Amino acid sequence: MRRYETVWVVNGDLPDEDVKATIDKFTKVITGQGGTLVSVEEWGRRKLAYKIEGAVRGYYVLADFAGLPATVKELERNYRIDDRVIRYLTIKKSDKVDLAALEAEIAAKAKEAARLQSEREAASEAAATAAAAEASAPSTPMEPAESASISIPATEAAEAESAVEPDKEA
Amino acid sequence: MPAVPRRRRKQFYVRRKVCRFCVDTKLLIDYKDVATLRQFITERGKIIPRRISGNCARHQRHLTRAIKQARLLALMPYVPSPPPT
Repeated sequence: MRRYETVWVVNGDLPDEDVKATIDKFTKVITGQGGTLVSVEEWGRRKLAYKIEGAVRGYYVLADFAGLPATVKELERNYRIDDRVIRYLTIKKSDKVDLAALEAEIAAKAKEAARLQSEREAASEAAATAAAAEASAPSTPMEPAESASISIPATEAAEAESAVEPDKEA
Repeated sequence: MPAVPRRRRKQFYVRRKVCRFCVDTKLLIDYKDVATLRQFITERGKIIPRRISGNCARHQRHLTRAIKQARLLALMPYVPSPPPT
């Protein structure tokens, strides 16, 4: 088994039902071809960097799974058949999969999802009670965001631009 | 980092460039991370060469692949979209 990651883009003009249908369909293809799904992540509608088949927006869905080369072959065949899919990309993340670790990861992901769900419910409940009793809203301390961003120093960026400039005319 | 004069007469300075991905090992190259990839393309959408960005060969290779993957998914432009007329 190998670890893969796949992204497909659904035409953004299509309704949400179509998007959900593609998610159902492709996850079934993965599991039906000896694959194990780890997670499905929806990025939602995004503006495309360029028009594809007349569409300006696309609905991005990312799926993380473990499978065989045959799984990917079948999945990509299905992508090509489906008219709703305008782009797809499948990437191999590792050649070997530790099944025990994979199970643990799936369980952790499920737990995390459940935790988020319950948290959301608790939050809405708390908001409801707070609104009802006019009690003080539960304050959640902001966690310090891990910022690892480094920007190119201005001089370097300027240098890069000036060096590239003559190329444009060529 | 102090500027190192190379030729006195021409006042030509070379700033030592380092590969940002080697310096910061937390910074990963990923086609999904468009914000980071954008720093390595020009406003014309071209990939900035290694001699200018200062990336090491290994990371430049990973970077170009990631940019091309992002382009395929329309996360990044091949060519900037023309301004609305």
